[in-house]
Parts: sequence; structure tokens; C-alpha cells
Amino acid sequence: MFKRVLIANRGEIAVRIARACRELGAAPLAVYSEADRHALHVRVCEGAACIGPPPSRESYLNIDAILAAARELDADAVHPGYGFLAENASFATAVTEAGLTFVGPPAEAIAAMGDKARARAIAATAGVPLVPAVENLSADFGEVRGAAESLGYPLLVKATGGGGGKGMRIVAATGELEAALAAASREAAAAFGDGRVYLERYFERPRHVEVQILADQFGDIVHLGERECSIQRRYQKIVEESPSPGVSPALRRQLTAAAIAAAQRVGYANAGTVEFLVSEAGEFYFLEMNTRLQVEHPITEWVTGVDLVQAQLRIAAGERLWLRQADLRARGHAIECRIYAEDPTQHFLPSPGIIRYLREPQAPGVRVDSGIAAGSEVPVHYDPLLAKLSVWGADRDAARRRVIAALREYSVLGVTTNVAFLVAVAAHPAFAAGRTHTHFLAEHLADWRPDGADLPLAAIAAALHAALAAPATSNSVDAPRTPSPWQTLGGWRLGHSGQ
Amino acid sequence: MDHAYRSGTRRIVVALRQTAPRCFQVVVDGEPHAAEATVLDAGLLEVAIDGHVRALPVARIGDAYHVAIDGQVYVLTPESADAADDDPGALAPPQIVAPMPGKVLQVLVRIGQAVAADEGLLVLEAMKMEHRIAAEAPATVTAVHVADGQMVDAGAVLIELEYH
Repeated sequence: MFKRVLIANRGEIAVRIARACRELGAAPLAVYSEADRHALHVRVCEGAACIGPPPSRESYLNIDAILAAARELDADAVHPGYGFLAENASFATAVTEAGLTFVGPPAEAIAAMGDKARARAIAATAGVPLVPAVENLSADFGEVRGAAESLGYPLLVKATGGGGGKGMRIVAATGELEAALAAASREAAAAFGDGRVYLERYFERPRHVEVQILADQFGDIVHLGERECSIQRRYQKIVEESPSPGVSPALRRQLTAAAIAAAQRVGYANAGTVEFLVSEAGEFYFLEMNTRLQVEHPITEWVTGVDLVQAQLRIAAGERLWLRQADLRARGHAIECRIYAEDPTQHFLPSPGIIRYLREPQAPGVRVDSGIAAGSEVPVHYDPLLAKLSVWGADRDAARRRVIAALREYSVLGVTTNVAFLVAVAAHPAFAAGRTHTHFLAEHLADWRPDGADLPLAAIAAALHAALAAPATSNSVDAPRTPSPWQTLGGWRLGHSGQ
Repeated sequence: MDHAYRSGTRRIVVALRQTAPRCFQVVVDGEPHAAEATVLDAGLLEVAIDGHVRALPVARIGDAYHVAIDGQVYVLTPESADAADDDPGALAPPQIVAPMPGKVLQVLVRIGQAVAADEGLLVLEAMKMEHRIAAEAPATVTAVHVADGQMVDAGAVLIELEYH
């Protein structure tokens, strides 16, 4: 095992990795930007180095600064976490060339799966189905129309040169095709400087299902079942669960076999995730492979009992895979909710600020992977993920009830969070019934507003707080705004028991 | 005294009267409640409302109070209790009303009497607790509508004052 592991990340995942290192006897080492000097992830490590100014590209994306920190802190391995440089093949190469071990897959696998076209080609040669598409469209509209009809409606016009919903049109019938092609092409040209578009089959209510795999450096590979991550806003997941309520045992066998085939084809090692789209009819198609630890890895840990971060470290340190497929069995059900500093009533606008009060839930079967502490700042520079709440239950409904109860105990003051919105998701009848798909939030919760049911109680609390801070007997306008315990604790005094 | 708040598009008024250290009678949305409150540590208010004890995180951020209840955060911005009166220190109307149904145990004042701030006006028994109702500011008692032992409904006018 490594002696000193540099964690090239921040927030909850850096804290999570630090814990895994410590349990394996390796000293966790932090890097931080100037905005994160007082961040939780710095405090839980055994050494830390500043890697630059707050903007990511000058700190957490600065390969030279991170390698300098690794030298300064005498690290022998680097764990990239997720995001930032985790899927940057040049970083993996640079770490290895610096004489350190990169805790992740080989740089070649990262590069191959990071290229959309290459990834699709790899999946196809591994026999994994791809979303039916017609690329390289003819300039002749008649031919395009013929291709569209062979693909079938509804279909999607997508930009060749980009993503994120730009240059994308849903076409329900032939009559709409010509106008959609023109509009998508114009939009793509404006957004990406490339007006080329292609056709893809459109699915009304697809599920996002992904398979977790673990591979050692000797060619052994196992899967740890699937996660469903259909509940997304702005193409980002906010609620995940394992197993998927929409995957039958037969489909699971196909999905996991496909994931292993794709990973083998690319010479994969370490933890990875193969993402699929599953149609309402139960057909599945390859989306992409994430060559890193996934945000939502805790739900797989809940149901399999495997610590994925420790597994990553052990595999990177050269251990042979100690898990056999036959021994891996999912038990019960796990659900994760991502706690974001964002406002669900304002299009999920991030809400940076200072955490003024924090109480995270604690209960049987409840886990909080947190990157924040009371008094800590949520900087404007980074992803506003504060923490991940994950729960385990004997079955899906037990897990669902547990996550609702835990969310209701979550108290964060100082920044706006999505906690109440997550309650609405988990409590929704369609979620309870397992009818989840990637357009779930748009279909069911687009106009969500907090119900405000406890406003009278909140107002009483505010008034009482005001009264205790400035006693009613004093009409002084200069009464202190912030109560000190000495003013508010009544008869309590140091050195005396309660009176 | 009345505390008025704006929360989003809603306005809510809390009539608060201290009856003992940490004990209050509260009327909100026309509903009377008995409350006992303690600030436990930075930002955590333990409050027993009609005997139901809860610990509610409360933070004052800028002018607004932020209160977390069951996963929801309420942001309450103080407003003048009387829309026509911008004085933030405005006193409650000089009518003392019963915050909840109960029994008048003892009237402590008589018409014409001058009372000091926080001087007791009467003692009301409600929800098995005694609540001492006091003047918020120096005043003269202009009317007494109840007598010892009388049962009163929520909202009944008990005593009228004229603030000095």
C-alpha cells in the first residue's frame, strides 16, 4: 500500500478519499486553492499544499501545481477523485512520468473512452448496442427524409460538434423534419462553429442506468451491479438508486455483460462505470464510459458492502482482485440524494455563501458524505455540491421512506439548498412507483414550490428568537442583534448546575 | 408585541407577550399558543409550543431570520407590524386580548391605574399553564372587561390601555 496519497480534489470527495486512505494506513494529503484554505478537506488530511488562486484552471486544473505539491508533500500516489483532472489522460500520464502512481485507469483507456466517436466504436466492436443514429447526412433532403423514415419517429436532430442540448430538436413526424434540420444547424453553427447535425432515435421516457465495474491490472474484472440515475436537472443527476426499479434480472445480466465487454475491450483497470440508456421497452444502448470514481458510488457500496475507494487504492497499489463475481450479491436497496447549494425555484441557480448552521442527519442506515462544516464558505468558483445523503433499506420503499425522513432532518442555513425539492422528488407517487426516467423532473416537478406549511411555526421561532435576543422589557433600539449565551441562557451560569 | 414578517409573497404577524422568563403567549394566524423558548447554542432555538418540544435552527442573516423546519428553510424579513406605521419599535395595540381560551385567575389592576413596563395586568390559566400578561410599556389602564374566575375565549378583549 502507498504511504502518502495526494488527493487532487476538494469538497466531499476529497474528504471521502482521505478516510479511505487513513483506513488503509496511508497518509492523506490535501491540495487547496486560496478559496479553500479553511475547507473541511484540508482539515481532515495530514498535510496540505496551496496550489493557486481560486479559479479552477489556476488551481485544481493546474497539473504543474499539483505535481509540485505532490513533490513537496512527498506523495507516492495521486487520487484524482471525480471531475477536475479525473478524466484527463495527460494528467494521468504526467503523474506516472513524475514517478508517482495514478489511482485510476491507464491513460490510454481514459483517452479512448474520453473521445465520443472512439468510445462508440469500442462499444460497437465489443458487441454493445449503440443508440440507432444516421450520421454523415446527405445534402439532398429527399435522402435525409428516407434515412429518417428508416430510423423511425420521433427522432432527435443533434449537433455533431457539441452537446448540452444546443443544436438539438425533437422531430415527431416527417412534416417537421426540414424546419428542425435548418433550426438545429443554425443553432449548432452559432454555438460550436460547426453546423453539422445528425439524426438519432428519440426515447420518450428513457432510464439512465449504469454499471459499476472493478478491474485489476492483471485482466480480472467484476461488476457490482447497476445504479439508476434518471432523476436529472440540467443534464446532471440529483437522485440515484441501486438497484434500478426498471431493470429485470434478465436485463441486468445483459447490461453487466455488456459493461464488462466494453471495459475489457479498452484494457481497463481500476474502478469504472459504463452508462446506458434503457428504453421503456427494455432495450439498452451504450452512452459512455466514465473512467473514474462516480459521484454516486456510495449506493453501490451500500448494497454490495465493497468500499470502492479502498478498492481503487488497492488495485492501483498492484493487488490482484480479491472479489469473485459469484460472491458479489446486492443486498437491499440504496438511494442517494445530492445536496446542492442551489435554488430549485430559480432554475437551480447556485447559491454560494457561508454555512451559518449545519445539522446533518444521523440514523440507522443513513450516510452523509459531506464536504462542509458550520462556518465554512461555499465558494462561487466550484460545483455547488455540499454533500451526498445516501441511505440503505431492506427494500426500495424502506429506503425511500428513510431518505425522506433523513432529508427532513437536514438543516442548512446560510445558503439555499435543494433539500425540500429532494423531499418532493422522493415523496412523489411516480417515484414511489419506480416510474423514473430522465424527463421526470420536467414532467412532474417543473413548477415545484416549497409548500410553506410551517410558516406560522417559523414566524413564531423568529419572533421568539428576536424576543430572547432583545428582551421585551427593554425597548432600546440598541439591543444587541446577536445574543450571547450569557444573555439568553436564563439562570444558567458557569460552575453551577441548572437552577 | 407584534412581530410582522414577509416571507416570499406572504405576510405573517406574530403577537408575542412574555409571561415569565422564557415563557410567552403567542397568537399567529388567529391561533393562540403557549410557548417556552431557550436559545440552546449558536443558532439553535429549543421551543415548546403547546407542549410540543422542537429544536429549530434559527439564524439572523442581514435583516432576515432563517428558520429550518423539516427540510424547508423559511426566510422571514421583519416588517413594520402596522403597515401605516414605519416605527420598528411600534407597540402592540393597547387592547390586551386573550391569546387562547382560558380562565382569568386574577386581575392585577383597576381602571385608572398607571402601570410600568412589564408590570403584570392579569394572570390567565390556559392549557394547564399560568400566563402572566404584562404591559409592554408604561401605560394607564382605561378599561377592565373581566373579573377573577371568568372563562374567556381566544381573542376576547380583557383590558384596554393608553400608552404614555
